[in-house]
Amino acid sequence: MFSLSYNVQRMLIISSFLFLPLLLLAAFSFYPALYLVWLSFTSWDGYSPDKPWVGMANYKEIFENREIFGVLSHNLAYFIGGIVQNILALFFALLLSRRLRGRNAFRIVLFLPYILNSVAIAYMFTYVFDAQNGSLNVLLTALGLEGLITSWLGNKHVVNISLAFISMWKFMGFNMVIYIGALQSIPEDLYEASKIDGASRFQALRYITLPSIRRILELSMLLTVSGALEVFDLPFVMTKGGPAGASETFVTKTVQTAFNFNNYGLASAMGVVLLAIVVAVITIQRKVILRGEKE
Amino acid sequence: MRGNQILKKSVALLSTAVLMTAMLSACGSDNNANESSNSTNASTTNNGKAATNDSTDNASTTNAADSSTDAAPADDVKGKVVFAINRTDLVETKLKEYSEQFHTKYPNATLEFEAIKDYDQTIKIRMASNELPDILLIPGTVKNSDLPTFFSPLDDLGLNDQIYFKDNRSQDGKLYAISSGSAAMGVTYNKKAFAEAGITDVPKTLDEFLADCEKLKAKGIVPMATNFKDKWPLYGWDQEAFLVAGDAALHNTMATQDAPFAVDGPHFKVFSILKTMVDKGYTEKDLMSTNWEGSKKDVATGKTAMYLLGNWVVNQVIDNGAAADDIGFFPMPIDNTGEAKAVLASDYFIGISKKSENQAAAKAALKWFTEESGFDDFSGFIPVLKSKQPALKQLADFMAMNPKTIEMQAENDDYLAIANKMQFDTSAFAQDAVMGDDIKSVFDSYNKKWADARKAVSK
Repeated sequence: MFSLSYNVQRMLIISSFLFLPLLLLAAFSFYPALYLVWLSFTSWDGYSPDKPWVGMANYKEIFENREIFGVLSHNLAYFIGGIVQNILALFFALLLSRRLRGRNAFRIVLFLPYILNSVAIAYMFTYVFDAQNGSLNVLLTALGLEGLITSWLGNKHVVNISLAFISMWKFMGFNMVIYIGALQSIPEDLYEASKIDGASRFQALRYITLPSIRRILELSMLLTVSGALEVFDLPFVMTKGGPAGASETFVTKTVQTAFNFNNYGLASAMGVVLLAIVVAVITIQRKVILRGEKE
Repeated sequence: MRGNQILKKSVALLSTAVLMTAMLSACGSDNNANESSNSTNASTTNNGKAATNDSTDNASTTNAADSSTDAAPADDVKGKVVFAINRTDLVETKLKEYSEQFHTKYPNATLEFEAIKDYDQTIKIRMASNELPDILLIPGTVKNSDLPTFFSPLDDLGLNDQIYFKDNRSQDGKLYAISSGSAAMGVTYNKKAFAEAGITDVPKTLDEFLADCEKLKAKGIVPMATNFKDKWPLYGWDQEAFLVAGDAALHNTMATQDAPFAVDGPHFKVFSILKTMVDKGYTEKDLMSTNWEGSKKDVATGKTAMYLLGNWVVNQVIDNGAAADDIGFFPMPIDNTGEAKAVLASDYFIGISKKSENQAAAKAALKWFTEESGFDDFSGFIPVLKSKQPALKQLADFMAMNPKTIEMQAENDDYLAIANKMQFDTSAFAQDAVMGDDIKSVFDSYNKKWADARKAVSK
C-alpha cells in the first residue's frame, strides 16, 4: 500500500506516538523550567510588563544572605525523620510479607495515611498537638508522663520534630508498600538454596534480601532526601513558619519571597538553587550507595 | 545492564515529577492561606499605596469637577462590564442584587461580578498576562508608580473632593482608584464578659486596660484573642504604632531612617504592651495553637473577651452567634494620657482597567457602587464618602467617644522597596518581639536588617 521502507514507517510510528507526550512534557515541564531559570536573572515583581535583567544579583544574594540558607537546617529534622521512616517501613515490610494472620488488614492500616490529603492531615494534627485540649497531651497525662508535655507547635526546639513526625507517619506506608513489592519479587528458591546451605535468617537478610532490594532502597532514599528538602505543606498550613520563623523551610521561604514580598526573581533563583542542591545530594548519594558496584 | 538504565531513567523522571508536584502544590496550597473572608483584606489593606502630595492634586480636582457635571450621559452607559471582587461568599446573594439594581438604573448596561478566591495572586497573574476585568480591587502590593500602566484615571467621576483616602492611590496628580471603605482599629469586646468580670466602663488608659485584663483572667475568661499563630491578626499592633508616633505615614518616615526601630520607639512601645499581655497570661494559653475561626465563636460566647482588630470583625462576631447589643468597640488605650485615639485604614481600592472597552459603563458602575450600592454598610466599613455616616452601631458609638483619628497614609514606593527587600512583615516582627529571648536584641537585629536593605535598595 505504502512505498515507505520499514525504517521510515518505524520512525513515523514512533515519533507520532511520542509527539503528544513530548509536547505535554515540553509545555508543562521544560518550558516552565527554562522560564524559571530566565526569571531568576531578573528582578520581576510578579505583575509588571517589564522584567529588568539583573544578572547574577539574585544568586549572589542567596549565598550572601545567611537567613535564606539558614532555614535549610530546619529541613534536617525531616531528613532524619525520613531515615527513621525508611527503617520502619522496611521492618514492617519484612514482617508483613511473611505469613501472618490478618496481614492485609495491617497493610491497609499502615498505608491509609498516605491516601489522605496532606492538608487534611495537617488540620487533623493541629488537634492532636493542641497544647490545651490536644489528644497527645491528654494521652501523656493518662500515662503519667506529664513531664513530657510541651507546646508541640509552639516550642521552637520541638516544632520541627513534631512536623517531621507527621510527615513520617504519612509516608511510611507508601515506602512499606514499595518494599513489600520489592521483597515479593525476590525468587523464593534463593532462600531455599540458602537454607540448604545452612544460612541463618539474619544471613539471608544480609546477603539475599538487602542486595536484591538495593535499587528500591536507593529510590526510597532519593524520595526521602528530595522530600525533606522540599517540605512545604505541613509548616505552611500548621504553623505558617512560626514560632518566630522556627519552622520555615526553604520552600515556604521561597513561596513567601515570591507571593508576599513580590520578588519573583529572587524566588526563581531560590527554586533553581534548590534544584541544584537536590541534584548534588542525589549524585553524592548514588556515589555512596553504588560504591563498589559494577555497572 | 539495560534494566539498570531504564531504572535510572525512571528514577530521573520520577525525581522530576516529584519536583514538579512540589512546585504545583506550592501554587495550589496557597489558596488555603487566603481565606476569602474579610480577614485577609484587612491584613493586606495597607500594603503599598503611595501618597502623592496634595498640591499637584488640586489642579486635577477642579478640572474633574467641571467635566463631571455632564459626565457619562445615560445613553453612553452601555455594554457589559465585569467587576472582579474577593467576596466569593456573596456572589450568589448580595452581588446578584447589586447587578440587578444597576441594570434597573442603566438598562443598556450590565454589571457582572466575578468573585475570585485567592484574589491578589490571581489578579497579579492577570495583570502580567494583560487580561484584567473592567473593574477590580487593586492588590495592595501593586506600586503606585505602576498605576498609570494598568488603570484609567478617575478624576472625571467628580468624587475627588468627596472621598477619604483620595491621595492613597493617586499618581502624577491623577486619581486612579477609590477606596471601598475603611476600618477603624480598635478593641472589639464582649459586654457580657466585661460585666461578668465586674468591669462597668471601657478602659481609658493603658493601666486601666491591663487591670481589666487581670479581672477577666481572674474570672477564667481569656482577656484577648491575639490569634498569634495565624500571624496576620497581629497587624493591629503595627497600626497602633502609628498612633504612638502620631505619624500618619510612619512607614514612609521609616524609609528615611537607618534605625527606625529604636528602643522606646513607637514599635517598641506597642510590642512591649503585647509582650506584657503574653507574659501575664492575658492572651491565649498556647500562642501556637490559636484558631481564628474558633476565636470568633469564643468572643461571641464570652469565653474570650476582646480582639484588637479592625471594626470589620464586629459583624463577624455577631455572625457567630453574639447578640448585636452584646458586642462593643472602643479605642485601644496605648498610653496613660486618657486621650482616645484611633487609626483608620482603607480596605481594598477599586480601579478601572485601562484596557476596558466600556469605559463609560465601567465608570458609571464604579460611581454607582461607591455612592448607591451600600456595600460599605453591608461590609461594616466606614463609608468612603465623607458625607455618609457609618451604619454600624458599634462604629457610631466608637466615633461618639471622639477619638483623635489618623487616616493612615499609603506606603510609598521607597518603603515598599525596602520592606520587600528585607522581607519585612510587621506581624512577623510582632511575633519575633514576643517570642524572642530578648526584645532589645530583636529590635537591634531588625534595625540592622533595615539598614542593610535600605543600603541595598538605594544602590
